Amino acid sequence: MAKYRFIEDLPDLIHPDEYAAHPAGRLVRIRISATEDGVEILGDAFRPEVLEEILSRLGPDEIEQMLCG
Amino acid sequence: MLGSRQLGVCKVRRGVPGGGLETATFASSVVHVDAVERKPFFHYLPGTPTITLAAPGCSFRCDYCVNFRISQYGRDDESVWNARPVDAGEIVGKAAAAGGSVALSYTEPSLAPELTLELARHGRDAGVGVVWKTNGFLTARAVALCAPALAAVNIDVKGVDEESHRKLTGGSVQPVIDAIRAFLEHGTWVEVSTPLIPGVSSPERIAAVLAGISRDIPWHLVRFTPAYRMRDQDPTSPDALARAVAAGRAAGLRHVYVERALGEAGRATWCPSCGRVVVRRGVWSLLENRLEAGRCPDCGTGIEGRW
Repeated sequence: MAKYRFIEDLPDLIHPDEYAAHPAGRLVRIRISATEDGVEILGDAFRPEVLEEILSRLGPDEIEQMLCG
Repeated sequence: MLGSRQLGVCKVRRGVPGGGLETATFASSVVHVDAVERKPFFHYLPGTPTITLAAPGCSFRCDYCVNFRISQYGRDDESVWNARPVDAGEIVGKAAAAGGSVALSYTEPSLAPELTLELARHGRDAGVGVVWKTNGFLTARAVALCAPALAAVNIDVKGVDEESHRKLTGGSVQPVIDAIRAFLEHGTWVEVSTPLIPGVSSPERIAAVLAGISRDIPWHLVRFTPAYRMRDQDPTSPDALARAVAAGRAAGLRHVYVERALGEAGRATWCPSCGRVVVRRGVWSLLENRLEAGRCPDCGTGIEGRW
């Protein structure tokens, strides 16, 4: 099971003008980048558990999460 | 009083044999630098940073909590103790160097009043304020202890109906409402946040309660995110947020905010007299503060806050 690390900031992949088009909150957006350290997978979703399920199935050691507040 | 080895409902304080209390209050799971707008505070030192701390634990067990991995320590196996010791003087020094405040957020800061009091002691000398994002579930005695140490609090008001509030959070709502009044009476700046929780949050009823306390309380409306044990509901629609804003204004609240879903107009401060924009904000940022000594530059009306 991946360890969660709480970080200050992550880029948004979903923007407020998209909210109305997805009333049930089923939109998930993923960005995969090759970096000097390996592969970075950034995700954004209206339903956190959907995104967390996708990310955890990729088998990372660690998942970074922003907190609310 | 907690008996020997008895764990409090907070899950972070325990009685020790022979009396006294065992706790890890001078600790935090994070040391983040955030904009004060993110807590959110819109009428307290806009455009300044906060050094944000959070120790595991909360006196509520909200079904929708996005922060459950840190807030539900002692109740949820996924929430583990990951806090490290923090030095209050060092944290205040960082905040002073950044020209900002120290914020206790993400979890419930009232579980560690000793840390708040120590941060405030250092903060008085350094000109650094301490602010809370809190569930407001405090006794009058707890407010009296903490309020002199706090420059500002943002209190979550999820609903005003006792039964649904207790079902959602595990706690009663009246102490939360009483805490808003008590912090104001102590001179602490108060803002309120309301996540629009399905079946719990009636914007009309909450706005009426807040307006009955003070029409100058900034009210932040927050989109519900389906999470944790509330995954079957949909996220709050922009239309529902707009209706909640209208309900707040109809109740007489002068400053009602939505951070993202209604665009820049939703997060701007409008002069309640002449209707012009006096503070413009980006998402979690300040774009322009036109206030002059806390007054509208166009008509001179005072806007409540700690500017």
